[in-house]
Amino acid sequence: MALVFRNQRARPVRSLLTVLGILVATASMVLFLSFGEGLRQALAGEMTKFGPEIRVVAEGTGVFGVPNPELDQNVLDTLKAHARELGIARLFPAVVMMKGSGFDPATTFLFYGLPEGVTPKDLAPAAKLVAGRLDPHPDGAVVGKQKAEQNRLTLGKVLRLSRRAEVPVVGIVDAGNGLADSFIFVPMKLLQKVLHTDQYSVVLVYVAPGHKADEVAARIRALLPGVDAQTTSEAIKYAERAIKIGDVIRFGISLIALIVGGLLVANTVMMSVYERIREFGVMRAIGARRGFIFRLVLLEALLLAVAGGAVGVAAGYLGSWVVNLYTTHAVGLALSAVTPRLVLFSLAVALALGLSAGLLPARVASRISVVEALGRL
Amino acid sequence: MSEGDRVLYAAHLGKRYRQGEVWIDALRDFTFDFPPGVTAVVGPSGSGKTTLLNLLAGFDRPSAGEVYLAGRPLHALGEDERAGVRLAHAGFVFQSWNLLPTLSALENVAFPLLLKGVPRRERNQRARALLDEVGLGHRASHFPHQLSGGEQQRVAIARALALDPLVLFADEPTGNLDSAAGERVLELLLGQARGRRRVVLVTHDLEIAARAHRILRLKDGRLVEVRASP
Ligand SMILES: Nc1ncnc2c1ncn2[C@@H]1O[C@H](COP(=O)(O)OP(=O)(O)O)[C@@H](O)[C@H]1O
Ligand SMILES: [Mg+2]
Repeated sequence: MALVFRNQRARPVRSLLTVLGILVATASMVLFLSFGEGLRQALAGEMTKFGPEIRVVAEGTGVFGVPNPELDQNVLDTLKAHARELGIARLFPAVVMMKGSGFDPATTFLFYGLPEGVTPKDLAPAAKLVAGRLDPHPDGAVVGKQKAEQNRLTLGKVLRLSRRAEVPVVGIVDAGNGLADSFIFVPMKLLQKVLHTDQYSVVLVYVAPGHKADEVAARIRALLPGVDAQTTSEAIKYAERAIKIGDVIRFGISLIALIVGGLLVANTVMMSVYERIREFGVMRAIGARRGFIFRLVLLEALLLAVAGGAVGVAAGYLGSWVVNLYTTHAVGLALSAVTPRLVLFSLAVALALGLSAGLLPARVASRISVVEALGRL
Repeated sequence: MSEGDRVLYAAHLGKRYRQGEVWIDALRDFTFDFPPGVTAVVGPSGSGKTTLLNLLAGFDRPSAGEVYLAGRPLHALGEDERAGVRLAHAGFVFQSWNLLPTLSALENVAFPLLLKGVPRRERNQRARALLDEVGLGHRASHFPHQLSGGEQQRVAIARALALDPLVLFADEPTGNLDSAAGERVLELLLGQARGRRRVVLVTHDLEIAARAHRILRLKDGRLVEVRASP
């Protein structure tokens, strides 16, 4: 084992450069993949911050889509009438309206119309009041803290819903970095007027104790044709799938860096093998078996790869932290996360890299003929 | 004669090399049973001395004939088996570049013990004793490049003796040394021919060869003379 280290010390610059190559490769992989992990964590956080377990929307609405006001009074009444047998503890309707592109958070305004008696706390139970009042009724707007910061909304500022409808900001609420933090809550009646409708976008449902959300959702779908009941965990699963596809793509990209890093290790180890043919010859002459030489060279490659991998993970962690500094500022989410399993995965990849990069040089070194090796000076 | 007695024995040993279109017989029909003591192998450059040593030590496989080391038929064994026989029964001192450059003198001497699986403490203890024996106990932690040529050769001798071999091979061990240092190395080597041990000393220096118990003379790959020293 000491032999393995000694050789690296004998050629410090080359070893260092190789470690650096692996470092960059691993760091870039960690950073790439940390976005997937960050999204996952953000998603789980969002969803658990969201109070109602089920949202009832018109059929065809995407799991993360903004629902159109297509539910009529009958849907609400039916749900209310069968609440007990469906396993519903509480429900209320809401109207949602999006203004702006939907892509840039700064120019997108998501208005959430709440019925009388319902406050932002009913959507995000952990919400805390920052300024003003919690209830938008009768004629105000309560703005999520993040949205307020993004668009410099303060109490008294007037928001324009349409050419005719305007509301002053009456409260700012901190929903804890959740989705609701970028909502603007207004009275539902007001939004219905703006949209010229008396229908609802969504009915939000709290499941009664002792019932399972997906079972309740299934019963609602069976009871009401043309209506979809989406559960929070379903939404998470759906997003999870999208993230997984992203993971594969991101890993594919970082694979290029990894392959370059692997070639670097292979090259370094191969060079040092050629330089040390005489040395291996002496070892074999003394009585070392081929396997001994093979393991020696392989361990060298592993050492380089794992050293680079470990420092690379650390660098990736640092990179992720910097990215988060930016994204929390820009979109309010820590988009990148270096999770324990990502660290383990990266180290395993570095190990595999060293292993595959070391195999060929190790084979070459162990197959050298003793006579030839000793003949060289 | 039983096989177990064939400490170092060759029969009709031959080695051919191909060089382009022509075949070179580097060694032809070499038969000899090495007795205990020092056997010098002499001959002009290119006469096949190193080729013979390579075959006797199992570095290479013969094209013809048989060779036994410590009773084991090297001509019939694979690479790793021959390595095992070498580790257990043979020691080597080459002309130069004997030592592993990244290991200290002590670690170099301990290396065969490491291969044998001797635990570290015992390894270092025995290596230190061996270094003392060749008069280099005070150089234990020096690296090869910090040692003179003569000192390097003495460390190599200590390493060759680490597992108390039956056969000690030396190929021009003093070839790169001045006469004083060479003399010291030579004395050390000749002193190792004790008990059943065989020392095979390859040299082209007849003065050195004269100090062996017997001299084998090679010419064009053939054994042309076996002579006991006076
Ligand atoms: N690997 C080889 N390939 C071809 N010819 C070789 C090889 N090794 C040695 N020879 C030839 O075999 C002959 C004997 O060489 P060698 O045993 O090294 O002689 P010595 O050690 O007595 O100088 C020489 O003619 C040499 O050129
Ligand atoms: Mg020679």
